[in-house]
Amino acid sequence: MSLGLQLSVRRCGLIAPGLADWPAAVPVLLGRAPYQPAELAKPVSERVPPRERRRHTFTIALALAAAHQVLADPAEGAELPAVFACSGGDTDVIDRICQALTLPERPVSPQQFLNSVHNAPAGYWSIADQNQATTQSLSAYDASFAAGLLEAGAQIAAGAPEVLLVAYDVPAPAPIWPFRPLHAPCAVALLLGAAGLPGLGELRVALTRDLPETRLTDPELERLRAGNPAARGLPILAALAQGRPAVLALPYLAPAMLRLEVAPA
Amino acid sequence: MIRIAEGRALTELESEVASLIVEAVNLEDVPADTIDPEAPLFREGLGLDSIDALEIALAVSTTYGFELRSDDANNHKIFASLRSLSAHIAAHRVK
Repeated sequence: MSLGLQLSVRRCGLIAPGLADWPAAVPVLLGRAPYQPAELAKPVSERVPPRERRRHTFTIALALAAAHQVLADPAEGAELPAVFACSGGDTDVIDRICQALTLPERPVSPQQFLNSVHNAPAGYWSIADQNQATTQSLSAYDASFAAGLLEAGAQIAAGAPEVLLVAYDVPAPAPIWPFRPLHAPCAVALLLGAAGLPGLGELRVALTRDLPETRLTDPELERLRAGNPAARGLPILAALAQGRPAVLALPYLAPAMLRLEVAPA
Repeated sequence: MIRIAEGRALTELESEVASLIVEAVNLEDVPADTIDPEAPLFREGLGLDSIDALEIALAVSTTYGFELRSDDANNHKIFASLRSLSAHIAAHRVK
């Protein structure tokens, strides 16, 4: 089903084990450099003052660092609507709160309680960039990336010149992990704009049931893609890096898939 | 044990409470022994806020076994500085 939705991808951000950012990812996505996953340290966004940064969990730091990769200047974020897409939320915070609830005095940390809400990363980003525009924080299990892209695209179709999309997910700590065994942490940020704006390429978005989910050829990258809802956006980045027109299918709410025609600039 | 912070001596308890605060609110860039015991903890001092006050109150109650209540009329005096908070802990601790 055509949605008549056409977007420009102005910039890409990416953080995953062994992939520090978009420039570092391009040779890997082109197959010119091997993908070598290494343990991902907690990302640091230099734009956030240390007094504010101390409140950030790994998940929050990951989302913020990816957002800041696509926003060259803090002022860019001031009037920018944003969509934050995450399947599982901050499972480390959930685990700590659950552990505290087992103790006699139930000493739930106020800071952790504050961080437990699904829009905590969006809130910290709004504070960091003094953003006055709307943010959406959504979750749609394995369809989270596609749902975020659709939401951002809908906002652009409704008149927003640019929308920031940040998709991020982090494997849960041991007690929760078996119920949702994500492979590795990953965040993908896209600065999306109305069609015609300069950038890395354009996306034509439609819904379909007739295409199989697009996979990546490199087995390790495919493990990352299949093992993290945010990494479901990697085929878009691969197509843009390769500079070839492509038709992709990303998982949306089953049986629907998002059909994306990618036209690199 | 006596430590010197900006020319002011920390008592053993003040030093312990300073470490507790640093850990409770993740002041990674502030060594506990550099906290001025008489400087304000909030706003212009360490730059802490109301969420930090709740976090410190939780750490104090867990460590010293008595409750700091959010509706205590003396909170602004108790939380004024490391020294005042430590004095309050010394007077009320049960462990």
